[in-house]
Amino acid sequence: MSEAENKFVFVKNDENASEHIAAPKYSYWSAVFKKFLSNRSTVVILIIAITVVTLSIVDPLISHYDGLSHININDPSMQFIHPNLQYLFGTNDYGDNLWNVVWIGARNSLAIAGLTTLITTVLGVVVGAVWGYSKRMDKWMIEVYNIIANVPFTLVVFVLMYVLGRGFWQLIFAMSVTSWLSTAFFIRTQVMIIRDREYNLASQCLGTSTWTIVKNNIMPFLVSIIVTSISRDLPSFISLEVFLAWLGIGVGETTPSLGKTISANRTFMTSTPYLFWIPVAISAVITISLYVAGQTLADAADPRTHM
Amino acid sequence: MKRYIWGRVIRAILSVFIVTAVAMVMIYTLIPRELIFKTDATYQKLGGKEDDRARYKYNAYEKLGYVDFIEQSDMCEAYASDNYDACMVVDSTEINNILPTYKSEGYTVEQYKAGLYYAYKDTPIMSIVGTFFGNLIQIDHPWRMMDSDNATLDSTRGIYWGLDYNGLPALMGNGTLHKYLIYIDGSFPFIHQNIIQLNLGTSYPAYSYTPITQVISSSQGTEDTREQTFPTGQTVDSAIIQHSCEYKYTSSLDRLDQNKFTDNYAECLTQKSDPSMIQDSMTIGILALMIGYAIAIPAGMGMARHKGKLGDHIGTIWINFMIAVPSLAFIFFGRQIFYLLGLPQSFPTFGAHDIRSYIPAVVILGLMNTASLMLWTRRYMIDQESADYVKFAKAKGLSEKEIFRKHILRNAIIPIVHGIPANIILTITGAVLTETVFAIPGTGKLLPDAINDHNNQMIVALTMIFTALSIISVLIGDLLMTAIDPRIQLEEKEGGAH
Amino acid sequence: MSEEREAILSANDVHVQFTVRGKTLNAIRGVSIDLYDGETLAIVGESGSGKSVFTKTFTGMIDANGSVTAGKAVFEGKNLYENKTDEQWEQIRGRKIATIFQDPMTSLNPIISIGKQITEVIEKHQGKPFDEAKKEAIQLMTEVGIYDAENRFDEYPFMYSGGMRQRIVIAIALACHPKILICDEPTTALDVTVQAQIIRLIKKLQKDYGYSIIFITHDLGVVANVADRVAIMYSGQIIEYGKVNEIFYDPKHPYTWGLLSSLPQLGIKGEPLYAITGTPPSLYDEIKGDAFAQRSDYAMKIDFEEEPPMFAVSDTHFAKTWLLDPRAPHVEPPTQVKELHERMKEAIRIQELELHEGDAR
Repeated sequence: MSEAENKFVFVKNDENASEHIAAPKYSYWSAVFKKFLSNRSTVVILIIAITVVTLSIVDPLISHYDGLSHININDPSMQFIHPNLQYLFGTNDYGDNLWNVVWIGARNSLAIAGLTTLITTVLGVVVGAVWGYSKRMDKWMIEVYNIIANVPFTLVVFVLMYVLGRGFWQLIFAMSVTSWLSTAFFIRTQVMIIRDREYNLASQCLGTSTWTIVKNNIMPFLVSIIVTSISRDLPSFISLEVFLAWLGIGVGETTPSLGKTISANRTFMTSTPYLFWIPVAISAVITISLYVAGQTLADAADPRTHM
Repeated sequence: MKRYIWGRVIRAILSVFIVTAVAMVMIYTLIPRELIFKTDATYQKLGGKEDDRARYKYNAYEKLGYVDFIEQSDMCEAYASDNYDACMVVDSTEINNILPTYKSEGYTVEQYKAGLYYAYKDTPIMSIVGTFFGNLIQIDHPWRMMDSDNATLDSTRGIYWGLDYNGLPALMGNGTLHKYLIYIDGSFPFIHQNIIQLNLGTSYPAYSYTPITQVISSSQGTEDTREQTFPTGQTVDSAIIQHSCEYKYTSSLDRLDQNKFTDNYAECLTQKSDPSMIQDSMTIGILALMIGYAIAIPAGMGMARHKGKLGDHIGTIWINFMIAVPSLAFIFFGRQIFYLLGLPQSFPTFGAHDIRSYIPAVVILGLMNTASLMLWTRRYMIDQESADYVKFAKAKGLSEKEIFRKHILRNAIIPIVHGIPANIILTITGAVLTETVFAIPGTGKLLPDAINDHNNQMIVALTMIFTALSIISVLIGDLLMTAIDPRIQLEEKEGGAH
Repeated sequence: MSEEREAILSANDVHVQFTVRGKTLNAIRGVSIDLYDGETLAIVGESGSGKSVFTKTFTGMIDANGSVTAGKAVFEGKNLYENKTDEQWEQIRGRKIATIFQDPMTSLNPIISIGKQITEVIEKHQGKPFDEAKKEAIQLMTEVGIYDAENRFDEYPFMYSGGMRQRIVIAIALACHPKILICDEPTTALDVTVQAQIIRLIKKLQKDYGYSIIFITHDLGVVANVADRVAIMYSGQIIEYGKVNEIFYDPKHPYTWGLLSSLPQLGIKGEPLYAITGTPPSLYDEIKGDAFAQRSDYAMKIDFEEEPPMFAVSDTHFAKTWLLDPRAPHVEPPTQVKELHERMKEAIRIQELELHEGDAR
């Protein structure tokens, strides 16, 4: 029985051993990417989005097509060729290869939407973050916001485009100037929610500098929100450009865009439908793939979904 | 609470005012004036005759309030009335003496090819804005009309009760702009008034010089005649709406007028067969809204209850699709599908009285509404589901269905109801695209048309109307919330639209 | 003097596991305890000891990523864990076993009147029409101490203070005369004075209605006021249980000693306050031996190798520690524990002295 006896001997305990944390290791960014790529259909959509953006950048560089010079205009045999292996999207009434027309239009539409999104997001986040954090600024900014916010956004864009005239930069300006405020308000609300959360108050009490609190506590929280906002803005700006071009108040005469192509080809809806439906379909593919990829990234960036 | 409402109302008025004023200033200063003639046929026809064209141009500008336009005849009348005939000679000494006076007052003096002078002065932009707002609300009264040709007018000015041409009691006036100030007829809201009216300016070049309020609210289409008896006793088939008759200057009265009317009130609207623009837009807008809610709310609730399962995934795909796809593309897809089902591709095909004309637009617009509604409904539901009181209700032994119906739903309805008025307005304004594609003669289509025509006044008027509607709807939504949620006491701190 | 009492709830070797980020968490690792008719059983433990989770298994309210993987809980002749569907659980919840939670502020639906929140339970479980239910609800409200109940029936929760809301919550829980009332830290969110009122209320109603109480808390002071028997939980197991006097004056487990020693009232001016070092072990890992060994001043080699069984100290007092094994060396509990009674009396005397001194000034 001496062995059992041995076991009833006092043992000094190791204080450190009891402080060991055994919960599964967690790294924010690796969790984000793991979640994002976990779904196969998401990966497919991401590939589609990347393909589309690449094509819109690369094709105009290769084909040197700029929407203005119609090299085949004097050759009637090149007009209205239905889609075949040589001309994947067919040719239009000028004899231009619709493939080139579509991709340069896509490039411009994406550029417009992208720049607008960039401006509204940067402005919105910067202003919104300060707005949300500073109680003093909130007092008067809210009054300004209440007055301006309820004006219908599309209406203002119309009037602005009417007044400024058509054009690439005018369009970007008009869309940015009307959208940044709602992004700012959105960010402001989110910042206000977490500014007063106890973990931020605790950080403050520990003497953490404001910048560090913003960097470590608030920014990661905002990442998911910002990505959501971007993923929604981008398709809506593309949609708006298409809409405006249809009404004749979008980009200028010399700039090709998807909206203009769709509008120009509307007369061919019944005679040579592919000329109309293909740009419409491509615009839908672009917006859907970018949106879904963005939304999924936003979901993956939200730490609450990392369970 | 009352103070809060007043605060909101004042803020609303301020918003509308600022937005409209800014729009007006931008439009009138930044847009080259000549563009308004781009689609004016008369102007185009006067291409070769420069003098006639100039006169037409500046007359038009004056009618629209842009300038003060004076011809040599007016100048001579004002400063050389005793030497009028001598003055009215080309390059006369008299006129050359008068011109500096006008120049010093800021007029630009120009000369017709034929030799006579004319001058114009730009109305200051603030004055244009001021005139617009000053004239916005018009109150009719018996001293409004001045007609030197009408001898009996001054002695018979006044307001009196009487019976109208249908034998119903009405309040009428003499010397007022409208004959019938208050009257009763069969259309909603049954008792109508002409005393207080909205003046949004005149439309040009489209609907030449027609008041914009009339453009929007009067019936369209072909004339709709019915038999009626006029004050002279004449009984004929006519489309005239007698309740709308306004004062016509004695010098403009003609034989046809005198056959029908015993007084000067002969400037009347005609009844047309199709609904007005605003009726078209509202019909389609409200129907689309109802369809949108009828689909979106049950769908959103269903998605919340079956979170993570197939129904939720399908719903999410639909929402993502609707948000991502360009609205124009969706409208075209939809229109094509309806076409294959035998429905018309444009509204005028079957006209305003055939239900088939309405179906594609209403359904498409309704579906476009569903996306964000479904998303938000689902989110509100899910937020409620993780609330503590739900946990307690579960511990009480209530079933999922009961908890859902009695607790979660009631809480989630509050923000949903809050958004209804805003959605109503969004639908009406968002119908711009749908109306343009389907060629529906509604208020939505007016805007892009006006932009293409450079119909500046119309653009300003529409800006004001849409802004006002939008702001009012949000205010109503907030007030509705207080009615439903016992916790809310509205404070000044609330933010704007969600 | 052992009373022949019915065990209305018998839990036997219950195991509960959760799946978190792909890993398995052993939240409850073999708990067995009986609940007798009409008694108040306090379950005491640190956060994460499993006290809430354990009681949630009786009403099927553990989170979706967890499940009972072994064991039985026999209530009214049936094993509770055989209930799978919501309909089956609805028969138990509210009607037979009621729960009240920690935060009264959020337990009530803010937009439904408090009266309706009581009547809906009565209507559901007893099938009574609204008017009858309303009468009962008003009577309940009066019993829990709401004055002028009839007029306050239609009021909303936001009009009430925390203490009053908790009374309403109690009224709701008792509306259907359940056999068991689970109180999950019901006084933790309340002021000390309100705490006392609520506890008094719960005990008084227990005499009137005759239910058994499972009272979950981490506050030993509350336990002394409330409980007939006490069970101490640590790392997903009950490590000691017995009558309240036995636990307070004759505890046998080192963890219980540590808990009792940590009572701040026992502190002597000038001496450092006692605290148990370290933190509970992770439940993701397989725990070998006695879970408390790492933090115990009395750990033996065997504590790290084999899990101790439940040793009987008396008919009613059991402890799960190798120290009770006859082969173990004799150990005296720490001084604070031995002198618990005296020190508590001293602490109260000093408090009263200070009060009188305050009055004198």
